[in-house]
Order: sequence, then structure tokens, then C-alpha cells
Amino acid sequence: MDIFVCIKQVPATSKVEVDEETGALKRWGVKSKMNPYDLYALETALRLREETGGRVVVGTMGPPQAQAIIKEAYMMGADEGYLFSDKRLGGADVLATSYTLSQAIRRIGDFDLVLCGKQTTDGDTAQVGPAIAEHMGIPHAVWVSEIRPCEGGIEAEQQLQEVIETVFLPFPCLVTVEQDIHTPRLPSMKKQRETKDRKVTVFGLDVFLDTDEEHYGLSGSPTQVERIFPPDSDQMHEMITDGDLAGQLHLMLRKWKFI
Amino acid sequence: MPRIAIIERKCTGCGDCAAVCPFSAIDMNEGKADINSGCRVCGICLKVCPQNAIIRLETRTKSVDKSLWRDILVFCEQSEGHLHPVSLELVGKARELAKVCGFKVNALLIGQGCEKPLENLRHYGLSDIHVFDDLELGYYRAEAYAACAEEVIKSLRPSVVLVGATALGRSLAPRLSTRFHTGLTADCTRLEMRVNSDLVQIRPAFGGNIMAQIVTPNTRPQFATVRYKVMDTPQREETASGRVVRHGLPKKVSDCKVRLTKRRHVEKTANISDAEILVVGGRGLKSENDLQYVKELARLLKGEYAVSRPLVEKGWETNARQIGLSGRTVRPKLIITCGVSGAIQFTACMNAADRIVAINSDPNAPIFSVAHVGIVGDLYRVLPQLIEELKEKREKDAV
Amino acid sequence: MPFSRVSVEDIAYFKSILSDVRVIWGDAISEDYAHDEMTEYGSFLPDALLLPHSTEEVSRVMRYCHQNSIAVTPRGAGTGLCGGCVALHGGVVLSMQEMKRLLEVDKVNMTATVEPGLLLMEFSALLEGTGLFYPPDPGEKSATVCGNIMTNAGGMRAVRYGVTKDYVLGMEIVLADGTVTELGGKVVKSSSGYNLMQLLCGSEGTLCVLTKAIVKLIPEPKANISLLVPFDSLDQCVSCVPDVLACGCEPTAVEFMEKEVIVAAESYLGKQFPDKNADAYLLVRLDGADEAVLEPRVQRVTDLLLSSGARDVLLADTDERKSGIWDARGAFLEAIKNSTPSMDECDVVVPQENVAEFVQKSRDVSREEAVRIRSFGHAGDGNLHLYVCRDALDDETWEARRAQAMNRLYSLAKTMGGHVSGEHGIGHAKIAFLEESVGETQMSLMRGIKKVFDPEGILNPGKVLN
Repeated sequence: MDIFVCIKQVPATSKVEVDEETGALKRWGVKSKMNPYDLYALETALRLREETGGRVVVGTMGPPQAQAIIKEAYMMGADEGYLFSDKRLGGADVLATSYTLSQAIRRIGDFDLVLCGKQTTDGDTAQVGPAIAEHMGIPHAVWVSEIRPCEGGIEAEQQLQEVIETVFLPFPCLVTVEQDIHTPRLPSMKKQRETKDRKVTVFGLDVFLDTDEEHYGLSGSPTQVERIFPPDSDQMHEMITDGDLAGQLHLMLRKWKFI
Repeated sequence: MPRIAIIERKCTGCGDCAAVCPFSAIDMNEGKADINSGCRVCGICLKVCPQNAIIRLETRTKSVDKSLWRDILVFCEQSEGHLHPVSLELVGKARELAKVCGFKVNALLIGQGCEKPLENLRHYGLSDIHVFDDLELGYYRAEAYAACAEEVIKSLRPSVVLVGATALGRSLAPRLSTRFHTGLTADCTRLEMRVNSDLVQIRPAFGGNIMAQIVTPNTRPQFATVRYKVMDTPQREETASGRVVRHGLPKKVSDCKVRLTKRRHVEKTANISDAEILVVGGRGLKSENDLQYVKELARLLKGEYAVSRPLVEKGWETNARQIGLSGRTVRPKLIITCGVSGAIQFTACMNAADRIVAINSDPNAPIFSVAHVGIVGDLYRVLPQLIEELKEKREKDAV
Repeated sequence: MPFSRVSVEDIAYFKSILSDVRVIWGDAISEDYAHDEMTEYGSFLPDALLLPHSTEEVSRVMRYCHQNSIAVTPRGAGTGLCGGCVALHGGVVLSMQEMKRLLEVDKVNMTATVEPGLLLMEFSALLEGTGLFYPPDPGEKSATVCGNIMTNAGGMRAVRYGVTKDYVLGMEIVLADGTVTELGGKVVKSSSGYNLMQLLCGSEGTLCVLTKAIVKLIPEPKANISLLVPFDSLDQCVSCVPDVLACGCEPTAVEFMEKEVIVAAESYLGKQFPDKNADAYLLVRLDGADEAVLEPRVQRVTDLLLSSGARDVLLADTDERKSGIWDARGAFLEAIKNSTPSMDECDVVVPQENVAEFVQKSRDVSREEAVRIRSFGHAGDGNLHLYVCRDALDDETWEARRAQAMNRLYSLAKTMGGHVSGEHGIGHAKIAFLEESVGETQMSLMRGIKKVFDPEGILNPGKVLN
């Protein structure tokens, strides 16, 4: 099975705060890491390769320093890696990001399966995966907790509300995997040495089938971030000492929508 | 589209902008700031630059004629004849938003055996309810559902499409927004409408550490998925209203090669680490049998029950249900502790819960220092009464 | 030792010092105060539980108990593992839990002054943002800093940073008769008479009550990385530890763990460990000022490990990866506890060169005595934790095999030049083994010291010495 795994570099910590006066972020570090959710996708891909053969290709859109996570993917066992880096790709939202990735995947080759993590820890949208599938015109399933290879496709288990539906998806298809589908392996120093000379292919939008820059980056993004601000601090502290205790609790639970 | 630019001759390379950029979109190259592809034009760097070397370049962009896109369409998720509660929350919110622009609110219902949810929806002040009810839609396939939604969106041209941020919603919405080449904002927790019909979408990012305000100013429809249990459920109206528009199965659905192979109900796992709602029994329980109250309340709230360490030591429960440094760490949306004193070994492993309710008869119990709501009282009075009230409510709902 | 029981008059006096709410007696005392973490070592409720708020209160309580022959057991958070803080002879438990302020962080001298009830986890949270760091980390984060001092707790970071006593600069203590005195101070060196302060480290509350401590801090190492190193056998794994220590990679912690214990932790936590293909693992943690400092050290130790038979060297460089490993490591004790109805534990420390041999021989003990033994420990400092598990044995068989196995483990350690306890202490559970290990000469010196500090023998009676 030939598998493409979408990965992303994200800040190493999500412990960020917004300064209420300046709107700037406090305690911001420059450290970054591979999106933890993508590790599950990569692990799933590596296991499928062990089971069925084929190759695992990883790709990411980002600045030049995002090469680090491709190298990291090599240390976990990925066969090939690509970085799509181009200033004109900057500022992309769900639509433009997914379009870029779909163009890049097409440019690289034909894959049976495209795997994505459930979401990223910075954007938290969980919606880029299905959007890639739409751009590519292939079927998809999200938040999948088990994948079984079968003739001409895969069976994927996805949980929806109260039921778990297992569906057959014909190749090519896209799946976003649930956290904990498999515990991701750790990067291997042995593999780091073995893949020391393996290159990371870097390309920009000039090599895409669609080279119209209006379709990428900020220009290709219909949404705009108007501002960012700190969340309301919801630090209530209320003591209820008399009256109808159970009744007051009941109301509280209702107000919080637990009933 | 606007973009951020650095005036190179002014830049001293101080790095202040790079330090505050939420998207790590500014690199320091050869002593100068350089905007990379991560830039989202949030403008924070403009405010911090001591040299005023950063500017925002405005460019004119084509915008659709917004007056051609009217009304709000709410996708109402249902499963096995039950409407997902987020659907009604969305309808309520949509009606509020619609008032600003004089819009109508329409609903879209897709599945098999939709009669019950349809009947239910007719009591919430909707204009039209579009229904696709077919055997082929009896299980979820993104492509099939998207084909149905596409047909309705094409004919209605809604300004806004709201979808619940459930697994299904987050799978369906991006397919649709992509198909219509428009914006989608994920997992919104607040929505407001401007008179020009721009939807102001507010959502958490970075795991809830910051909030982002997002608009889709130039394209329509504006897609948003909305978090469950954030908006209020509207009041049910006695009389049924709303026109029901039944659609046949779109042709595209038969092209869809995805097939259901198995379907089963989610088994409840007793893993307290993953539970969203926890009811916890502590030393305040006088006998093993009294753990029944805790279990019963957990059941009525559709949550799990857990215990503090003393109950494990007494052998009433195994440590798989124990919260604490010698047990599990939990981060539920709601935790109700009953008769737990709140030793640090306990509180350190549950104080990240979204809502903490503590019931304890000792007003000085340390648990109250971490509780959002502290109930000073006898759990033997509070629990039975609350359980009784919840049961009554449940019976009423069943009728 | 004829101690007086606490009478109604005594209670009235304590209340006059401490106020009503901070004197708890009789049935009102929670069962928690009857034991520490090892419930296996019995349950001993005190007559009264006192919760002082100041040194002055402690002093007045001590003076009274001294005059009235009431036994006093000082207690921190009660997280010990050898029954050190339980009232074996009744009397009062003096719980320091409400004296828990961080009195000062001195950035110039790099010291902190703490009250005895401050927990390690609270202390590290309070130090966040100061750029300073308190290295001792015995694993149990809900233990008190001062409780650690009185047991001289070690922990995983001992390889690089040393143990608790290495961080104690000053003490305020209350003697058995209520006298308050201060030892040490914010000085780095001292050659001024007998080093009483170091004598008190690890004295388990038998010589004095610690009411304030000045501890040394170091600049916080901003970066850290952990390496999980799989081996085909435990022998191979433990054998290469001396080379790891010698290679110049300056590890903070070097732990060994076996597959069986990892599997137990997995089922206990309900979480999968990232690698389970090997029989034994070495876990190496490196600390440094930043990532750049760590990189060459990682490469150096990788070279060494790969040439010493390690299957691979796996990197835990992010929060998620680190917690995947360290959460499991932190759950070993509870996981083993949970796998058996009862157990006994042995916390011996042996010279570095004997670690592999000791672990190997403990397997012989397990086989020959027909009792399950699980072990893990600090390979980097020779401190091993072995747990003899009861499983399905009946009372009589368990008692016989447990005693036999424990005796053999301790005498094994002795023949190798090891000690009874690396970091948990003696309490009342290990006294026999201590006597066996150090012999009469040293025991009588210890008894002499006890007599000088506490002539009436009211402080934590029945601990360390009989």
C-alpha cells in the first residue's frame, strides 16, 4: 500500500497567553515539534506498510525549518519526505491549505491512502483532512480508530455519536485517525544515522499543476482572522450553604447543559 | 487580500515582532525580519515594532454580491431516529442571528427514518425543512451526505450554513465548504451577525489558550461548525410549523462506492480517564452499599463514577476507578465529588476539570478550595433528592 | 518505654496552645494517620493529632510532652515506605501539614527557605518562573521537602545532582525538651565543629522536629531529553551503566526497567508504552541549559550504547513522548502493588559494579524461594527497589517465604558492601535488617546520639533504633 501522510510543524507548547492590553502573546517560545496528532497517522502508516508492503511518504507545508519534522519522520521509518515551502503559500486557511496539499500530493504521485492526524494542536480545526479529500475527489472517513486493509481498499471504523460504523473505502481514499489508534513509536537514533544522507525534497508552487497564486496562501483563503484575544476566565467560586441544596445543584447542572 | 510587509531599511533586527508572532511567521534572516508563509495577517507585529517598520498592505479583492445569498441553513444531525441535541441549539442560535438581517432559518435533515426528528424539528420556528430520507442514507458517508446538501445549498443560496462540530459535522462541513470554494470556521463557541450579513465567528485555538475572531468577508455561504453544549436550546413551540420539502436521492449518491460493512453500538468503557462526566464517592460514604447513590447519579448524567483513595483501601472499589496520585488523573467536563475531603494527592489529579462541584458536610474541607461550586451539606440528603428529580425529569421526557 | 497516654487534661492544654480546631483526638482522627504508604506494616492510631502553625507552638508542645512523657511522632505528608511517621507507641502525632509556606526565595544566594509542610509539588510550582530549581526528586511529588530531609530521600536525579542532604544549608529545629535552635545558614562551606545538621538529615524525626529549612537551589536546566534504550537482556542493560556514567554524557537519571514491570504499568495506567519489543530497557535522562548543549551528549551516549549491545536508542524529546515513558516509570510501584494482594519491599543500595549481579541473584532468590519478585531501580546509583509479591499464597506460606526472601536479599546486599536502605529509610519495619547490617558498634553509637538529643526517648520512639 502506498501511503501519503500529511504532517505539520507546530509550537512545542500550547501554553500561550494573550496580553490583554497589547494583544500580543506572552511566553512564546520558538521551539517547535511535529503535531502530536500526526504521530498517530504516521504510526498507522508504518504499521500498514509492515503488514502490506509499499511505501510511506510524508509531506508538510511550512517554512524551511519544517524540514526538521521530515527528518524526524525518517527517524520513525518514513521512506520519503517532501516540504512545500513558498512565501506565496503563507497565511493559508482550511481551504487554501487543503488545496495546496492536494496539489502537492498529486504532483508527487499516486497514493492508495492519504492519512492525516485528527487535528493540529495550534489550529485545532480538524477539517483540513476532509477538505483535501474533496479537492482530490476521493472518499474519506474521519476520526478512525481502526484500519484493516482489504481487497481494493480498506475498512475503517469511525465513531459517530452512539454508533461505530465500519465502512469499506475503495482506493484511493483519505482517512484522519483518532488519537490512540496506536501508540506512536519513538524516533530512533539508529535510523537517524541510517537516513543521514536521505534528502528532503523541497518545492514551491511553481511545480504544481495549478500555478495561479491567487488560489494559494492568503489570497486563496476566504476566511480572515480579525483579532485574537484571551479567553474569558471562568473562575467561578460559589458556596451554597443553605436552602434547597439539591434543587440549586440541579439548576446549576441544567444551566451548564449537563442535563 | 491584505498582507504584512517589512520595510527593510527601517528594520533594526530587534526581533520583537518575531517574539510575539502567534504563528511563528517571522524569521530573523541576516539581521532583518522576514515574513514567512505562516503569516495570517493578524497584525500583532505592527503594534510591537519600535521602528514602525511593519505595515499592512491593503489590496482590493473581489467580493460576491452578498445580497444574492440570503437566509441561514442549519444542518440537523440525526441518528437512528434521534435528533442530535446540538441541532436544536443551532436552530436557536440561527434564529437569533437571522433577526439581524431579516433572514429566515431553514433546516436540512439527511438520513433514513427521519419522521421522528422531522416532527420534532417542526416545533422550533423553522421556515422550510428539507428532508432526504432514503435507505442509501442509513449510514454516514461524507460523499453521499455532501451530495444531498450540495443540492439544497445550490437552490437556496444561503448566506450562512451552520453544522454541529460533532464527528459527523466536522467530516461533512469541510467537504461542502471546499465544494463551494468558501470559508469554514471550525468549532465555534460564539457567533454574531453583522448587518452586512458577515458572520463573526469566535473560536478557541491552541487548546483553548487563545480565542480567535474570524470572518468570511468575500465569499458565500459562510460555513461554521459549532461546538455542542455552548448555545442554548430554544423553547419548544406547541404548534407545529415549517414547510416540509422532501427531496429524492441525488444521482451522485449512487456513484459513491463507500459501503457499510459493520455497525455496532458504542460499548461504554469504564475508563475514568476519558470520561466527560464523573461522579466521585469519598470517605463521606458510610457503607459500601451507599456507593449506589454515586453510581446512580453517574448513570443519570450519562457519566462514569469514580472513588477517592480511602474507598479503594476499604476494598469497595479497584484502583482502576481511583482518582489521585496513586490512581488516575482525570480532566472531565464535569466532576461532582461526594464526601471527598480533597487531599492534595486527590485534587492535583482532578483540578483541571472544567466544572468542579463538591458536596461535603465540612465547610473547612480542602476540596472547597478547588471547587467552582461548593455545596456544604449532607450528601445523604443532597444525592437522593437530586437523583429523584433527575429521574422524574427523565420520565417526563420519555412521555 | 512507659509513655503516658494522652489524657483529657493534656488535650485541654494542647487546645490552649493550638486552639480547638487544631487538636483532634480519639475517633475524630482519620485512619490516614495510622499508617504511611505501606499499609502492610500495620495500623497505629495516635491518641491525639496536633496541627501546629508555628515554631513557638511546636516548642510548647514538645516542652509539655517532655515533662509528661508523652510520645511525639512528627509527620509530613505520610508518603513514607517504612512506617517512619506512625505513632507506634500512641501519644501525639505532630503533623506539620499546615506549616507550608515558602518563606523566601533568595535569588542572590540561590536558596529557598521553607516551612516543614510544603510539598515538593507545591515547591516546584512556586519556583516556576524564578529560573531556579530544586533538584532532589524522589518520585513522590506529594511528599514534603522537610520530610525528604528527615529521611534523606534520594530519587532518580541523584546520579547528577546528589541526594537531599546535599541541598540542605540550614535548619531551624525544636529539640525534645522544646529548645529551639538554628543550624547552618546560607553559607556554601562550613568547617565549624561537628556537622550536626548532616547528622539530622535522615534521622527520621528521632532526634528533633524540623520546623524550617534553608535549601540550596541551582539554575534551572531549561532543556532535557530522555533516551529509551532497548536491550535483549537485563544483564546487558545493566552492565553498560558504568560506561554510560563514564562517557561524559553527564546523565541526570539512569533507570532500568524490565518488560514485566512495563506491562504491569500499562495495564495499571490503561496506556500503551511506546516500545515493548525488548526484555529490558535503560532509561537515560539528560539535562542542560539548552538543546544545543544536549545534542553532542546524546550523540556520544548513542555511540556508546549502540556499541555495547543496545538494539537501538529511542528519543523522547517532546512532552508527549516524555510523559509516555515517565508516567509509566512513575506508576511502577503502584502497578506492582496493584498486581498482588500484599507485598514487601526492599530498597537496598549496592556499589555500582554489583548492580547487575544483584539483580541476577535476586532472580535466583525468587526461583528458589518460590515467590514472585519484581524489581526496578536507579541503575545509575546502585539503588534498587525489589518487591516480594504475595500473590495467591496462604498466610503461613507467605510469611515464611517473604521472611526468607527478604533476609536473603539483605544479606546479599551486605556481602556486596551495600546498605539496607538507599532512600526510603528504616522506620520501624527495617530495624532488624539495620542491626544485622551495621553491627553492634555502630548501633551503640547511634543509641548514644539518641540519648544526647532525646534523653526521655519521646521523639518518634521505636524508629531507627529499638
